[in-house]
Amino acid sequence: MRQLKIGTSWVRGVVGEALTPELVVNFACAFGTWCDGGPVVIGRDTRRSSAALRAATLAGLISAGCEVIDLGVAPTPLVSFAVREMGIAGGISITGSHNDTKWNALKFLGPDGALLNAVKSEELLDIYHASQFLLAPWDKLHPVDTNTEKLIDRYLEHLLSVLDVDAIRRRPTRIVVDFCNGTCAPIASRFLKELNCTLLPLNEEPSGEFAHPPAPSAVNMRQLASLMRCLQADFGAALNIDGDRIGFVTGEGVALSEEHTLPLTARIRLRRRPGPVVTNFSTSRMVEEVAAQYGQTVIRTAVGESHVIDQGLAEGAVLAGEGSGGVAVLPNSMTFDALLTLGFILEELAFSGESLASSASTLPQYFMRKRHLPCPPNLVYRVLDRFRALYSDSNPDCTDGLRLSWNDAWLHIRASNTEPILRIIAEAQTLQRVDELMEQAITYARRAVFGHVEV
Amino acid sequence: MPRQNSLKIGVSGVRGIVGDSLTPQLVASFAAAFGNYCGAGPILIGTDTRPSAEMIKQAVIAGLLSVGCTPVDVGVVPIPALMLHVREAGAFGGIGVTASHNPIEWNALKFIAADGIPLRPNQAAELTDLYHQGVYSRVSAQEMSEPRSDQSTLSRHRDAVISIVNERAIRERHFRVAVDCCNGSASIATPAFLRALGCDVVEINTDISKPFPRNPEPLPENIGALCEITRQSGAAIGFAQDADADRLAIVNEQGVPLGEDATVALAIYHWLRIQPGPVVVNSSTSRMVDDIARQHDCPVYRTAVGEVHVVERMLQTQAVIGGEGNGGVILPTVNPCRDSFVAMALVLEALATDGVSISQLRSRLSNYVMLRDRLRCEPRDIAPLLRLLRNRYQNEELDLTDGIKVLWENKWLQVRASSTEPIIRLVAEAPTEAEARSLLNEALEILAP
Repeated sequence: MRQLKIGTSWVRGVVGEALTPELVVNFACAFGTWCDGGPVVIGRDTRRSSAALRAATLAGLISAGCEVIDLGVAPTPLVSFAVREMGIAGGISITGSHNDTKWNALKFLGPDGALLNAVKSEELLDIYHASQFLLAPWDKLHPVDTNTEKLIDRYLEHLLSVLDVDAIRRRPTRIVVDFCNGTCAPIASRFLKELNCTLLPLNEEPSGEFAHPPAPSAVNMRQLASLMRCLQADFGAALNIDGDRIGFVTGEGVALSEEHTLPLTARIRLRRRPGPVVTNFSTSRMVEEVAAQYGQTVIRTAVGESHVIDQGLAEGAVLAGEGSGGVAVLPNSMTFDALLTLGFILEELAFSGESLASSASTLPQYFMRKRHLPCPPNLVYRVLDRFRALYSDSNPDCTDGLRLSWNDAWLHIRASNTEPILRIIAEAQTLQRVDELMEQAITYARRAVFGHVEV
Repeated sequence: MPRQNSLKIGVSGVRGIVGDSLTPQLVASFAAAFGNYCGAGPILIGTDTRPSAEMIKQAVIAGLLSVGCTPVDVGVVPIPALMLHVREAGAFGGIGVTASHNPIEWNALKFIAADGIPLRPNQAAELTDLYHQGVYSRVSAQEMSEPRSDQSTLSRHRDAVISIVNERAIRERHFRVAVDCCNGSASIATPAFLRALGCDVVEINTDISKPFPRNPEPLPENIGALCEITRQSGAAIGFAQDADADRLAIVNEQGVPLGEDATVALAIYHWLRIQPGPVVVNSSTSRMVDDIARQHDCPVYRTAVGEVHVVERMLQTQAVIGGEGNGGVILPTVNPCRDSFVAMALVLEALATDGVSISQLRSRLSNYVMLRDRLRCEPRDIAPLLRLLRNRYQNEELDLTDGIKVLWENKWLQVRASSTEPIIRLVAEAPTEAEARSLLNEALEILAP
C-alpha cells in the first residue's frame, strides 16, 4: 500500500515509495506559489529522511522564487515564531512529529504562524493539483539564508515574556526531560536555565534513531518514569520530536496520561486570563470541569491541530489543545508549543506550591479507553456510515466521524488522519460504563469492517 | 515568435532553461534515475557558479537520497577536477551541475560514470530509458543515508596535473601569466594552480559571486579584455577558460589570440615529443594536428564532434593525447576528459623547456585559416540539405563521420547539424583566408541559394 495522506495543513507519508522527492518538490512549488514567491522559513526534525525532504523542499521553494530562511534542525513552534517575527509569507516544518521513523511530513504554516486552516489548505491543494507553479527565471533565484541565531534568541525572549519568570525562578526545580532524540534539547536547556531549573536530559542527542516511539503517552514514558526515583527530580517531561506535544511524569515515577497536559495547563492559564478553551472531540472531559471552575466554556472541533487553533482564533480562545499533549497558549503562540506548556506547568507548581502528583490528583477522575481497528482506506467511510445508522437514535455529531455524548460518558469513532485504521475512543465516569461502550463499539466495528472485506 | 523547446535530453546530459524547462521535479527524477543506474553508493556533486546552482543541487541531492545513494557535495569546482575526483575517490558516479558555455539562464546535469568519464552514448541511452520508465527503487527512511561534503577536489586535481610536468623547469621561469576565468568555477582554482607553478598571476574575471562578464565561449571576439591586459601587463602568455574550465584559449605576448584550434595543436605538439602514440581529435579540428603527428609517425583518428566521442575512441585506440578544436585538450595520463589545466601545464612546460616565447612556439606549427559560419535551419530540413551537398561533392573525397566533410589536398570543408541548437554549422580550413572563404561561400550557395 502506498501510504500517503494529504490533510489540512500537511502532507504525510511513508518515505520511499509514497513520499518521493518529486512529490515533495511539487508540494514545495505549490506552497512557494501560494506564498507568491515571498520569503519562507523552513525547519526540520532530526529524522534521517528529513535531510532529503529538506533538499527537495529547498529546490521547490527556490525555483518558485522564494527567499528561504533555513533554521536547520528546529522545533515546529520555532518555525511558527520565525514566520510571525519576520512578518513573512509562510513556513514549512519538515517533521514526522509523533509518527515513527518510517514516516515523514511537511507541515505548512501561513503568514500568521498557524498551520494552514481548511480554507488555506484548499487553496494550496488547488495549486498542487493544477500543477500551475510559479517558476522564477535564473536572475530571480535567491540564495538560502542560514544565519538564524538571532531568531532563536528572540524566540526564547518571547517564551519568557509570556511567563511569570520571577515566580518560577524563586522555586528552583529539578526536571528530567526526555527529548526522544528530537529537535528541542539545545533550546530547552537555554530556556530552563533562564528559569533557574536544573535540567537532567534524557535521549538528548539529535539522531534519526529514536530511543522509543515519540508520542508522549504513558507507555512511551516508561523509561523516563523508571528513572525518576533515582534521579530525585521534582518531575519529568517527555517531548515529541518537533516539540509540539508534551507529557508528564510525577517525581514518584508515575506517568500521567497525555490527556492531563491540557487540563493542567488550563488551570494556570484560566486563572491568569479567563476565556474560552477549544479542544477536539476525542479529548477528555477533564478540561471542561477545569474550565467550569473558572466559569469558562469548552468548544469542541474535529481532531487536528489546525482545526482547534483555527477555531480558537475565531472564538477568541485563550487556550487550544488536544488530548495528545499538544497545547497552544493563544494568542501568544500560534502552534502547539511544548516548551511554553512546560513553562506554564512550572508556573502552576510555583504558584500552588504543590508537587505535580498532588496537582494532578485534584483533576476530576475519568476513565478513558482508546482502541483501533485496521480498516482499509476504501472501506473506512462506509464503516462510519454504518455506525451513523446504528447510533442514529443517540443524535450523533458527524463533524469528525461520529461522536455520541451522554451525561456520564462519550464515544468517538473516526478515521485516523495518519494511518489506515479506525479509531474508537470512549470516556466515562466509571470503568464499567467505559468498557461497556467500548465493547459494543468494537463488536459493531468488527462486524462492519469484516462484513465488507472480500476474502 | 513560436516558443522554442528549451529542454535537451541527450548524450551530453540534461540541459534546459531555469524557470522554464529545467524544473526541480525533472532534476530530482533524473537524479533518482542516475542513482539507480550507478547503484547505492557515494555520488559526487559539483557545480559551476550560476545562480541556479543551489536549486538544482538540492533537487539532485533529494533525488539521490531517495534511491539510497550518498550525495557528496564538493561545492563549486571545475568540471575536469570533479571527474578526476570521482575516479580517484572510487565514487559510484558524479553529477556536474553546469551548462558549460551556454548562456546564464541555462543549466544542466552532466553525468559522470565511476571511471571519471562522462557517460558514453550507450550508457546515456540506458539512463534515459530508465528515466522514461519512471520506476526507481526508492529506499525506506531507515535505509536512507546522510548527505556529506568534501573539500579536497581542487587540491587533488592540482597535484595530479602538476605531477605530469617538469614543475621545477616551469617554476624557474617565473612566468607572468594573465588569466580570464569568466567568473566561472576556474576562478577559485586557476590563480592558485598557476602560483603553484611559480607564475606571477594577473587575473581578471575571477569573482564567482558575479555573473559571467562575457560570453563564456573563449572565442577571439569574446576575450578582448584578456588580450588587452596581457599586452599591458607584459605577460608572457594569456589564458582564457570557459565557465566550467574544460576549454582553453591562448593569447600571445603581444595580446593576439591564437584561436582555440591552436590550443590542442600546441598541446599535441609538445606531448608527442614526450610520449609518441595515437592521437584522436574530432572531425572539425585543424589539420595542424595531422602535420604534427606525421613528424612523429603517429596515427590521427577522427571522430564525430563531442567530448564523449573523442574519449570513447581514445580508449579504443589507447591514444596518448586527444582533444577538440574548440580548445579542449584530453590527456589520459591525468584523466580522459577535456581539461584546461592540463592544457595550461603542457604549454607552460613547452615554453620553459624550449626557452621560447609563445609566438615563437606557435610559429613552429603550420598555418591554416579556419573560418566558420552557421545557418538557422528547422530540424526536419537538415537531412535533405545535407543530401544536396553530398550529391554536389560526390566526386570528391568524403568523410561522413559527422555531417559531410569534403577533403582536398590542403583544405577541407565540413557541414554538419549542431547537436545543441537548430542550426547547421559550416567550417572550412585552407592555407589562405580567400580559399577558406570561397569554400564556405560555395557551400552556402548550395544550402541557401
